[in-house]
Amino acid sequence: MNEVTVTRAAAPDAIPTPRTAAARRRARRWQLRLAARQVGYEHRSFWRNRSRAFFSFLMPIILLVIAGSVNRGDRITERGNVAFATFFVPGILAYGIITATFANLAASLTLLRDQGVLKRMRGTPLPPWAYMVGRVGSSTLAMLELVAVTLAVGWAAFGTHVRGSTLPGLALALVAGMVCFTALGIGATTVIPNADAAQPVTTALVLPLTFISGIFFVPERLPAWLNQVAGAFPIKRLADALQFAYDPRTGGAGIAGHDLVVLALWTAAGVALMRSFRWESNRP
Amino acid sequence: MTAITVRDLHKSYARFEAVRGIDLDVADGEVFCLLGPNGAGKTTTVEILEGYRRATSGVVRVLGHDPAAAGPGMYDRIGIVLQQCGVQDDLSVGELLDMYASYYTRPRPIDEVIELVELDAKRGARAKTLSGGQRRRLDLALALVGDPDLIFLDEPTTGFDPSARRHAWSTVKTLCSLGKTVFLTTHFMDEAQALADRVAVMVGGRVVAAGTPDDLGGRDRAPTRIRFELPDGVGAADLPDLGTSRVSATPTGVEVVTSEGMAVVNRLSGWALERDHDLAGFSLSQPTLEDIYLSLTEDTSSKEAVR
Repeated sequence: MNEVTVTRAAAPDAIPTPRTAAARRRARRWQLRLAARQVGYEHRSFWRNRSRAFFSFLMPIILLVIAGSVNRGDRITERGNVAFATFFVPGILAYGIITATFANLAASLTLLRDQGVLKRMRGTPLPPWAYMVGRVGSSTLAMLELVAVTLAVGWAAFGTHVRGSTLPGLALALVAGMVCFTALGIGATTVIPNADAAQPVTTALVLPLTFISGIFFVPERLPAWLNQVAGAFPIKRLADALQFAYDPRTGGAGIAGHDLVVLALWTAAGVALMRSFRWESNRP
Repeated sequence: MTAITVRDLHKSYARFEAVRGIDLDVADGEVFCLLGPNGAGKTTTVEILEGYRRATSGVVRVLGHDPAAAGPGMYDRIGIVLQQCGVQDDLSVGELLDMYASYYTRPRPIDEVIELVELDAKRGARAKTLSGGQRRRLDLALALVGDPDLIFLDEPTTGFDPSARRHAWSTVKTLCSLGKTVFLTTHFMDEAQALADRVAVMVGGRVVAAGTPDDLGGRDRAPTRIRFELPDGVGAADLPDLGTSRVSATPTGVEVVTSEGMAVVNRLSGWALERDHDLAGFSLSQPTLEDIYLSLTEDTSSKEAVR
């Protein structure tokens, strides 16, 4: 094969792999900045996609307002005669964490995979981890925004207060729930074949479990076996942990140890699934 | 300096061997075209160069990097235009260029890139509102925004109408005037002819010919074909001595195939003028790139069929 030689200004071959510790630190700082900026871009996209914003964000708020209003004035005798909202607000927090992280990530990542956006991102200097930080950062922001709105609506419309003494338990449950359902949301994309299947699959997983997980119905009024089944899954555990922190009968810091352990196990399952994460669609 | 080196590259999938041992050298600053029919292994090859797929065996270097182990260092210097690839639909053209530019260590000014692909009017438009052609231009803009030394274009004009193709070609020519190395795959011969400094023809996972568009497959040395009609009463046997030429009868006249075109034309015209013969329909042709390409791909595919 004949070589065509072209003379031109010498450009550096490529930025060399950083060799010194200082250069590595500089490269890492640059990449962290990229990751932080990516969170901003991803979150802008999140709010512009109306249908996704509706399902992951508005839905839990609508349910809170409707069910809270329907059951206004009800007291739950099985739980020390607390107001319905004291039971329902933490339940909606759990539901909101799931829609903002799990359902949101499973749907958006499968769609981006099908569209080829994930493949395109792999062809840029943005490290794959920094891109994932952007995605997860956006879903975490959506979750925090949803938590804030839920707490505000719960306080303004139903007079539900966060208890100061059990705040550590509440915060820990929120973080554990976020981590667990983020891992499961990313992990779920490895078993969801394509974007068309994402919504049905996540709904089929979340909806039935939500009904038996003590979010809309008081668990004490359900058959014992159903509570046991639900207890194996993370939705009930998250709802439990949050309700525990809200329950006026709870003493101490309000940390629900058993629930957190089960959430940790499900987090590990999600991480195990994440290991076979695909950046490209299987579709031809 | 070579932008791309490939030695004895093989890629096997579960059931078939897509790439069966190819060698390529792409020099800095040239437009290199991998030409071949659909299913020849072009996209597999280019995706190995881009780091999307791992070679089964062989040596690959892209700007000095092994793409299979490449990190941000390689991607900082290359631009990729994939076949049919989506983009973050809810962001605008300007936002997308800002975002992608932020990934590179020395991005090209965004205004310049937008102007180059003529999307100035669409700067504020969300990506999902763009037409097909505008999307392809956005693809190119996103590949250029890092001011890469090397650009991969995988079948960049498939599905374009003729004027959009001409337009895309002029953009590629602009790229090479900027000193970029371009690695192009296509199944259009005219595209290779119009753009490439060098062409490699790939069929059935192998490179069957390589060269410039003019000398590919020995085209520059291929014999000249001269055709004309003879007047009534004159036969092929009456023609003058035409040296080593091969003379054969066609339905309407005579065909002469020769490697000494000028001498034969001179002798024929002298002979005809002397006898006052009018050689109607006199024509002279050299094989086109298309003739060469078709003969190369037909040969190989019939061989593949036997195997």
